[in-house]
Amino acid sequence: MNTHRRIHCLLALVACGFCLIAALAATGQSSPAATGPSHAQSAASTTSSAGEKVFMANCARCHTPPMTLSPRVTGTVVAHMRVRARLSREDERLLLQYLAP
Amino acid sequence: MNRAMNILSIPRRVRKSFPAFSRLPLGLWPMFFCVLAATTQCYAQDDSAQKTSAGYVPVISGAFAYIQNATGGAQTLTPQIVPVLLVPMGHSLLIESRVEFTGFFQREDGTSGRYAGKVFKTIDYAQLDWLANTHATAVVGRYILPFGLYSERLAPVWIRNLQDTPLTYSIGTHPDGAGNGFMLRGVAASTASHTIQYSAYMSAHNSITQLPAMRVAGGDTSIFFPAGHVEAGLSYQRSLEGYQINNEAAYLSWQPQRASVDLKAEYDRNHYGDGYWIEAAHSPQQFFVAPDFFRHFQLVGRMEQLFTRNGGGNGLPRVNEQRPEVGLNYQIRDDWRLESNYGRLFSANGNTNIWNFGFTYRFVWPLWPGRKS
Repeated sequence: MNTHRRIHCLLALVACGFCLIAALAATGQSSPAATGPSHAQSAASTTSSAGEKVFMANCARCHTPPMTLSPRVTGTVVAHMRVRARLSREDERLLLQYLAP
Repeated sequence: MNRAMNILSIPRRVRKSFPAFSRLPLGLWPMFFCVLAATTQCYAQDDSAQKTSAGYVPVISGAFAYIQNATGGAQTLTPQIVPVLLVPMGHSLLIESRVEFTGFFQREDGTSGRYAGKVFKTIDYAQLDWLANTHATAVVGRYILPFGLYSERLAPVWIRNLQDTPLTYSIGTHPDGAGNGFMLRGVAASTASHTIQYSAYMSAHNSITQLPAMRVAGGDTSIFFPAGHVEAGLSYQRSLEGYQINNEAAYLSWQPQRASVDLKAEYDRNHYGDGYWIEAAHSPQQFFVAPDFFRHFQLVGRMEQLFTRNGGGNGLPRVNEQRPEVGLNYQIRDDWRLESNYGRLFSANGNTNIWNFGFTYRFVWPLWPGRKS
């Protein structure tokens, strides 16, 4: 049993080391913050609106930026994401101005 | 008086389907409605601030997916359709529902013979949301249990980086990852330096095939630091039927600002076992050769371990298991993604290799004509 525990601890250390190495290796690159498709990444480097900051801080935490949204569905989709991501009303307003100005 | 009490009481049919509702403490109902009523005025004040071209038409969103899995040499074909229906009613009410149609087709003799199987239908959630004010959203219906990082946020097939769910997934989500009842959620405090989010819920027991749920109560809270893109959270859930066990989770999410790396980790524990998973995903944004091609790749690694307690079970394996996995995904377009991953399961029941290949297609379609520009 002790041997099993030691193996588990060793595997846990290996996992932590793996993630640390991955983080350090990637920190050397001067790239945008989140993983995701290129158009949203390039947009992130050219504008710095508050809505974009909200987008990159909250939406990109869980998933890659979505495809281009039609303005007619943007209100519905952002309301849905406000519930899912527990966003504030102010964050919702900024996201709407960013995605459907 | 008796008639008034009858109007306020829960209909017999609802009591029959959801027996736990009839046992809710009476004090909870007025408290719940008072919280909702108190938020109405706040909503009316800041609704006028929304002046954009955004439309609020009904939407059907979701994904198609096809995953081919090989576990220990046995092939499984898994086509999946996951529609998400969103119907807004004004700016403060939203009906949303997600249904999964998942096919499991395997060879009749394990590794030989023709493929046979069936399609499973699952209602992940079907809920009415009241976006009351900046601090509170009230949810009634069937909802995803907000437990840990994975179940509510990373589980959708078009979001998850690796197709296999973590070994600890059943902790806090047994039997089906959903609850039937009500929930309050939102932002407790929000400043430039941090945001504190919360969820609190109560679910009733339900044994209907399509809508299984346990009688549970629980909550989740997390703090997010935007400057460092760091989030840390805690979840707690108390099962109120059977053995009345506690489920607990702690999680961490970090996207270093100078790197295209996404780090996530979660630790879960209950009476039947405890374990963790830790995952790192990296997209090379400035590869030295053909950067426009390589930045669509995503390299993923995950390590996880599960330690059983009291014989395991209740959705968890019966023996200790550990599983390292690596994956390589490619984003063809914003809505198309190719996926592949390899893992090895180390278990007292035998070690096995796991392969997954497939694709996901994500869509958002309006269901109603509206403004086009």
